Amino acid sequence: MSSEQSLSADVVIVGSGVAGSSIANELARAGISVIVLEAGPRVDRQHFVENFRNLENKPSYQGPFPSVPWAIHPPNQITPNEYLHTTGPDAEAYQQVYLRMMGGTTWHWAGCAWRYLPSDFELKTRYGQGRDWALKYDDLEPFYYQAEVMMGVCGPDPSVEDLGSPRKQPYPMEALPISYAARQFRQLISEKTPWRVVHEPQARNTRPYDSRPTCEGHNNCMPICPIGAMYNGSYSVYHAEAAGAKFVPNAVVYRIERDSANKRVTAVHYYDPDKGSHRVTGKYFVIAAHCIETAKLLLVSADDQSPDGIANSSGHVGRNMMDHTGVQVSFISGDKALWPGRGPLETNVIDNFRDGDWRNTRGAYLVHMVDDNQVDLATALAISKGYVGRELEEQIRYLASHTVRLFSHNEGIADPENRLTLSQTHKDVLGIPHPEVYYKLPEYTVKSCEHTRGMFRELIGLMHGTDEQWTPGYFPQDHPAGSTIMGTDPKDSVVDGFCRTHDHENLFMASSSVFSSVGTGNITLTVAALALRVADTLKKELVHA
Amino acid sequence: MATDQRCFPADIHLSTPNSARLNRLMRMSRRDVLLAGMGAALVSGTGNVFAATPDDADIATFMTVSQRLTDRDTLDPRIGHALFMGIVHAVPTRRDQVNQLHELMTKNSFTSARELARAAEQADPGLKDAIHDIMTGWYRGLADHKVVVYRSALMFDITKDAVYPKTYASGGPFYWTKTPPEVALPTGEPALSPSTFVVEPT
Amino acid sequence: MPDITRNILWSVLAAGTAFASLPASSAHADDAPADLLARGEYLATAGDCVACHTAPGGKPFAGGLKIATPMGDVVSTNITPDPDHGIGKYTEEDFEKSLRQGIRRDGSHLYPAMPYVSYSGLTDGDVKALYAWFMHGVKPVAVTPPATSLNFPANMRVAMAAWNMLASNTPPESGDSATFDKMRRGRYLANALEHCGTCHTPRNMMLSEEQDSYLAGAPLVGWYAPNITSSKTSGIGNWSEDTLVQYLHTGHVDGLSQAAGPMGEAVEHSTSHLTDADLHALAAYILQVPAKEDSTEHKPRESFGQPVEAADVRSGDLTRIDDLSEMSGQYIYDANCAACHGPNGAGTSDHYAPSLFHNSVTGAGRPDNLIMTILNGVDRTADGQHVHMPGFDHDSDVQRLSDSEIASVTNYVMTTFGSGDHAATPEQVAKLRKDIAKTP
Repeated sequence: MSSEQSLSADVVIVGSGVAGSSIANELARAGISVIVLEAGPRVDRQHFVENFRNLENKPSYQGPFPSVPWAIHPPNQITPNEYLHTTGPDAEAYQQVYLRMMGGTTWHWAGCAWRYLPSDFELKTRYGQGRDWALKYDDLEPFYYQAEVMMGVCGPDPSVEDLGSPRKQPYPMEALPISYAARQFRQLISEKTPWRVVHEPQARNTRPYDSRPTCEGHNNCMPICPIGAMYNGSYSVYHAEAAGAKFVPNAVVYRIERDSANKRVTAVHYYDPDKGSHRVTGKYFVIAAHCIETAKLLLVSADDQSPDGIANSSGHVGRNMMDHTGVQVSFISGDKALWPGRGPLETNVIDNFRDGDWRNTRGAYLVHMVDDNQVDLATALAISKGYVGRELEEQIRYLASHTVRLFSHNEGIADPENRLTLSQTHKDVLGIPHPEVYYKLPEYTVKSCEHTRGMFRELIGLMHGTDEQWTPGYFPQDHPAGSTIMGTDPKDSVVDGFCRTHDHENLFMASSSVFSSVGTGNITLTVAALALRVADTLKKELVHA
Repeated sequence: MATDQRCFPADIHLSTPNSARLNRLMRMSRRDVLLAGMGAALVSGTGNVFAATPDDADIATFMTVSQRLTDRDTLDPRIGHALFMGIVHAVPTRRDQVNQLHELMTKNSFTSARELARAAEQADPGLKDAIHDIMTGWYRGLADHKVVVYRSALMFDITKDAVYPKTYASGGPFYWTKTPPEVALPTGEPALSPSTFVVEPT
Repeated sequence: MPDITRNILWSVLAAGTAFASLPASSAHADDAPADLLARGEYLATAGDCVACHTAPGGKPFAGGLKIATPMGDVVSTNITPDPDHGIGKYTEEDFEKSLRQGIRRDGSHLYPAMPYVSYSGLTDGDVKALYAWFMHGVKPVAVTPPATSLNFPANMRVAMAAWNMLASNTPPESGDSATFDKMRRGRYLANALEHCGTCHTPRNMMLSEEQDSYLAGAPLVGWYAPNITSSKTSGIGNWSEDTLVQYLHTGHVDGLSQAAGPMGEAVEHSTSHLTDADLHALAAYILQVPAKEDSTEHKPRESFGQPVEAADVRSGDLTRIDDLSEMSGQYIYDANCAACHGPNGAGTSDHYAPSLFHNSVTGAGRPDNLIMTILNGVDRTADGQHVHMPGFDHDSDVQRLSDSEIASVTNYVMTTFGSGDHAATPEQVAKLRKDIAKTP
């Protein structure tokens, strides 16, 4: 079964998403040898664009990405699921999706590039809730900027619109001009409510940047930007490869080997699609395989030396699973036509509830007005109402121009009971167990969602809305975090403030798995900033060594 | 190793949270099976239907009925052919139902889609689903749970002065800042009884 | 920034900074009158000196750009006023000799990549202004670029002396160029400064321009500098003076043409900075150049094609993420081009992405410029607008297309929107890829 073949590099990285590929790029440019092992295949944009156009259920953003059998990803957000098995009272609220392929899940993010707020790093100290990170906002600030430059983030001038995360430099690109619909929404909020709508910082080109074009508003950031105006991890893969990093696709890591003292990782082993086994040695190892897969890999690698899994002396690997839980409503505005769906998908946010003293009892949240083309949904709705012919066409125009969709990111919180384990019943074609997650929504998050529902009802009233369609229950926002949680105490955390595992001195985690709290902003920029900080640490240690 | 593999269809039948989701799973799994290269039987099944190509009269009837139900004088026959194939493949009795609709048309002189649809549902409630399929085909570009046309679906023709089909925006950078047209509240009545509207899960 | 590959003659990455760094504010500025310096700066822009004498990412005028010629790479020299590495020791007489006669201060001959056969037409007054500006308006840079190495016999600069006997220099103009009448000014700009013929006039075996085919079109390391004579079928005889002025000023005329590659750079760095009067003079002169017919183009390039409206009847089938098999030209177009150029080829309604019909590139008799555009993309800033199309070459971050994919989509585009099927082959694409000079 195994044909052992040896590979070696200074740094071995598992996962080629934004975290793994940006570390690889930084290290390769510093002359350090790097191997990146990616479970999924090499891919390209053109087939995804055609897949999207051939896709029946257009809102399914996993849809255009049918996975390979040796690295399956969740095919959809439906419970029960063919890959990510969720259980518990709120199983459906943790039905995350992500992509296992070169470049990772940023192939279908919406480009929302928030920095966390300083308070997000000190939730326990400031509000007595959840946990503090083992680092402060200021530690991450330079890396936030580095990540913004790497991705090409556009955002507002802080002197005009302060988003609450102090900046030393302006955004690399000017903020995106907002759509007509967003302008109307913004005006309503500012005139009739105590809240405000801000420009969402986005990894999207408002001018040609990094040899990629200006956004042309194809309204398809998720699932696939057709022109490359939005950042995705594949650019960092390409840049890292140009700098000499070696990427191995279809390499499914299944074992992490340590020295006899169990202090240092000595090698990782991967399967190729035919289950041929390969061993890769290195001086440092970084697991950058997405929150779910990272914890799964540490658990799968359990052996006699570490029967509970790698880096798991605390027992916290796979625990503290968090997410941004979503509340979502669509309705038909009784006011002027808005015609959502012109321009990028997510550009405007109500940010008043990202922070406040009430965080001692309920979670924070932010609200997106989704600028999503509603024509298909309007058509399906009008047909179901029984319209045909001329009357159907009138309805389509009216519904498509008046539909408003709002959704929120409600703050999850670390609870060790919310836990990822290995499935006892399901294995993939390589014999690796599927991940399983028990999830019960924390009360903290439930209260936050209730508050959001109240806000949505108020907005529906202000817009004279009808035909409310509430997404039932709670839904996942695909921002899983916490599975290898950061902390200062090795007894109750997996990594330290530099994302280094407490147990193994040369093993790092680069993923939202290290988050100690999940805040409200989309997690990707923080993942990238933490990854660049890992690269910085590795550079210092390897170059000075 | 074989026992380690998930057998999609078998597992799907064990999971029945609700009918919409089950329906969805069936479709997803069929596609996955096809993609995994295990769907030879299904492919050849499709081939058999195509072998039984409908004659020109079927297509002509379908086009006539479609024109009435869309209140449009011209429809693309290439699209019509592909839609008819898909609709009949999914539900073979649709062929007869299209003929039924055509007979209704010839017996009466309906001047609008609404008149035909209303009369059809009264004559045979089963025709409502056939009309839904025809509307879904022309306006959303779907038949047999597959995309037949994307950007050429009529829903985009109706809205082209305001929005573009996703991935085909041709207004240039920042076109979205311009003011789109106002739309008056429609006054027209529905022709058919309402149906449950199910938003497909993502 | 990723690796940037640049092509041939006019290649300046630092252009944005080049002009910004040029204010005549050096310590020596007092030595020369401001109006003379301003004139010198304008002439240097019209002559587009910065284009060749700056390496990608390098300091303006410090040289180091590799210029591909059939005989090998010529490396441009440092022409900043640094006394040891540049031309700081040049007297005005030395400067005049190199500029108009191609003879360096040490007496050796310059390679004719330096368009001194064009600059020979400069007036004494304009040489003086250029000299003043290069000495006082340009920042000295203490860097010596690598030496040129050419194949025999061109590697012997003495052989260049013989070449100069054959090459026909533009006769020098006299008097004050600022007072020339329109047509004389246009000729002066076209020949002595903009050196249009350097690219658009075919060259003979010895690399000198064939004067009886003035501006009749010539290959240009991958690109093809088209026939711009007044021929109504092969040239630009149907263009009005105003449209040509618009083209030179903005790099783009709707329904006619747009500048990419070397011409995009010429517009960006040179013609877009010319005065309106000079652009009209230049356009008027170009438009009266005697017509020369082309063997492959018998219908105006911009006259081909129309929007193609066809229903997108689809399979509805999806491919697995690792299925990278090649699609047909039609679907390569749909997946990579149609998002901006439209499924019907009409481009964006604001013409940011141009129409592919009524377009001199798809209407050309050769697919070369379309292939080069697909490989290189477009990156042109002129008249306050930065136009950008990503390239699809092997280093693209957007989509890397194979030789056969590019050949397929080229043939699809030229057949559907342009002059017809020119049967571009993967081998032709591979060759053009190689022709793109890789800069260090």
